[in-house]
Amino acid sequence: MEQQELNDFRDQLLNSLEEQPRRTEEGRPRSLQIFVNHECVGSVDCMKTNSNYSFSSRDRSIHTVELRNEAGVLVGGLCASEAGLKNLRVPIKRGWVDIHIYNRIDGGSVRMRFENNRPWWSRLGARAGMKPFSGAYLLGRQPLVGKTFAYAQILLVISVAALLVDRVPDWFGSESRSSVLEQRLAAQEATHNQVERLQQQVAQLSEVQQTALKEAQFEQQQLAQLSHLFDNVSQAQSKIAAQVVTTQEDLRSVKDSMAQEVENDVQVALTKEEEDRIQVKQELQSVKSVNETLIKQVALLESKNRELHARLTSTAVELAKVAGQQKSIAVARNEQSKDPPSQMQVAEALREADPQAFLFWVSFMDGTSEKSIEDLFHEIKGTKKGPINSGWYPVEVKLPKPEPPDQFLESVKRATIVKAVATSRIMPPAQ
Amino acid sequence: MRDHHTLSVKLNSVVSSENEFDELVLRSLPEFLDRATAQTKRFLRDTGQWTDDITHEKLALRWGYELVERFLICGRTEVPCRPFFLLDSLIAKSFSQPDPLCYHKELLTPVGRFLDGLASRAVVSRDALMALFYHIYGLGQANVVRLLGFGQAESQRVYKNFERWRQSGWQRTMLETGISDHDLKDLEEQQREHPERLNIEVDRMLRLLQTHYRKSEPEHYPCLTGQKWGQLFNDDFGYDYRVWHLAFCHACFLEVADRRQDELTNTEKPRVNLHIQPLRKGGVMALFGSERGGRTHGTARTQRLSRSTS
Repeated sequence: MEQQELNDFRDQLLNSLEEQPRRTEEGRPRSLQIFVNHECVGSVDCMKTNSNYSFSSRDRSIHTVELRNEAGVLVGGLCASEAGLKNLRVPIKRGWVDIHIYNRIDGGSVRMRFENNRPWWSRLGARAGMKPFSGAYLLGRQPLVGKTFAYAQILLVISVAALLVDRVPDWFGSESRSSVLEQRLAAQEATHNQVERLQQQVAQLSEVQQTALKEAQFEQQQLAQLSHLFDNVSQAQSKIAAQVVTTQEDLRSVKDSMAQEVENDVQVALTKEEEDRIQVKQELQSVKSVNETLIKQVALLESKNRELHARLTSTAVELAKVAGQQKSIAVARNEQSKDPPSQMQVAEALREADPQAFLFWVSFMDGTSEKSIEDLFHEIKGTKKGPINSGWYPVEVKLPKPEPPDQFLESVKRATIVKAVATSRIMPPAQ
Repeated sequence: MRDHHTLSVKLNSVVSSENEFDELVLRSLPEFLDRATAQTKRFLRDTGQWTDDITHEKLALRWGYELVERFLICGRTEVPCRPFFLLDSLIAKSFSQPDPLCYHKELLTPVGRFLDGLASRAVVSRDALMALFYHIYGLGQANVVRLLGFGQAESQRVYKNFERWRQSGWQRTMLETGISDHDLKDLEEQQREHPERLNIEVDRMLRLLQTHYRKSEPEHYPCLTGQKWGQLFNDDFGYDYRVWHLAFCHACFLEVADRRQDELTNTEKPRVNLHIQPLRKGGVMALFGSERGGRTHGTARTQRLSRSTS
């Protein structure tokens, strides 16, 4: 059942294809739809004598052009070449359509020209000054200058001929001269009246013409002004266009220079970074080598330390032996002399218990006032011991037992007014 | 068998004149149709859109037919050529376009195929384009003229379009789309029993179809705002724009119909209202037509509409 339905459908389609040439030729189309790449882009009016149509595509080339009537029947068409020109003349009933396709890389264009192959009476009508009616149509878009009009023209010619046949013999007949004269006079009078009316009309017309001329002149002036305005506008437009181009170029150059600058900066930064990296690497290597050297030295010192420790141990043993011997000798000496201690030994002991007296020399900066010097002495609790010799002041201080003299002298040197310090016990240092 | 082989050899050989091409093609139409159909099937299979049933077979035949129709016209201009090679190249070029075929499973139902057939015909035929307003929205020729704001000359053209569609266009479209009498009866029955449900279904499919077929309209016909539409009608330009766009854009149609409601004879706001048969001539003519055995026209409402508009 389904196969039968399918076969019927296939047969119908084949019949339609077979009828295609007949359908193409039947009936003169009133207008033809134009399809470019299967898209309807416009139509050509086939009722006009000549009709043109053009279409251009900017973004894609033209592959196919098809002409279809309003019922959708494909009347003509062609496939365009990839690039270049292709022409085709499609015959349709009483006329033809010339198709010109021109394809470029960036698009294509189609031009169409419909030429009407009109019948002889239509052409006669046009030549006889019927142009104002040649584009007119009756209801239903039937052309006025068609068969009907041609028949009317033929009828008119026949009527005129019959009238002539009827009247010509009368013109040469036996009517009296007087009646002819009366008729002529009446005609002349009528003509005279008509001429007068015509003269009035001519005068009126000339006035109207004058007015129209003035208006035309005024319009011409306005047109001239407009054209001047257009010129100005176009000049301004061209200037703006030039400025736009200049600005674009400037922008481009600025953009280029900026890019160059940024590139240079990046290059410099990279180079600096690379140098820093190399320097750090070198420093690391030097630190590493120093570290290795230190490790070696530490190892050497450790070995020496061990050696010294061993020596110390042996020396301690020897010292213990020697101390043992000396102890026995001292015990023997003590037993021999059990006298009271001498005066000198007592003084020595007292001295060891007293604060240490320390004598030193100090010189001061030029211009130091005596008060500042006295203040310093008071601060360090020192006393002047003798006269000043060549700028050197002998000073004695009592140092507490644990404080070494060197540390004390260092603290004196740090005073801002002190120039130099000396510890020679014999002579003050030379200036 | 031998003749078939000889024909096949000829179709692969060079044809050197237009007359020879015409003769050969006329004798080999079944071969061309079968070849184009087979390639369409292969395309559908390759793109995962094929199912082994009669609907798909009919679809492939229909598209194959459209390809052969183009080949018959354009092929003559390519002589000298090898006919089979030329057909293959035409088919390949056609299928290489984006979305070459309007394929959707919902369009395989009788109502889907009916709408698809109308829309695909409307892309190439002005008669069908005008008739779309009637089949989809139930607008007769007079209302179409009023909706589109046409003048005297253009309105005569619309009447002619409706006339041709009534006489032959609709019938031919149904035949070439593969919609059988049985399908039409089925559709009419659906319409009688569940008219609202059918219209909702049409409304849904309409967007799908219009999205595909509106690609065929020139790129300079985009959707307009209500204000722009108003300006277009007030300034009286863009006749082709109105026809093309409003027939294929439901949203813009509703916008314009809303604006021009006062112009239309129906006080009811236009909406999707499927009409299967073409608009008959006058009421009397329609009655005669139906008595003569033509397909019945449907409801009394549409007959009244016909009388008022013809």
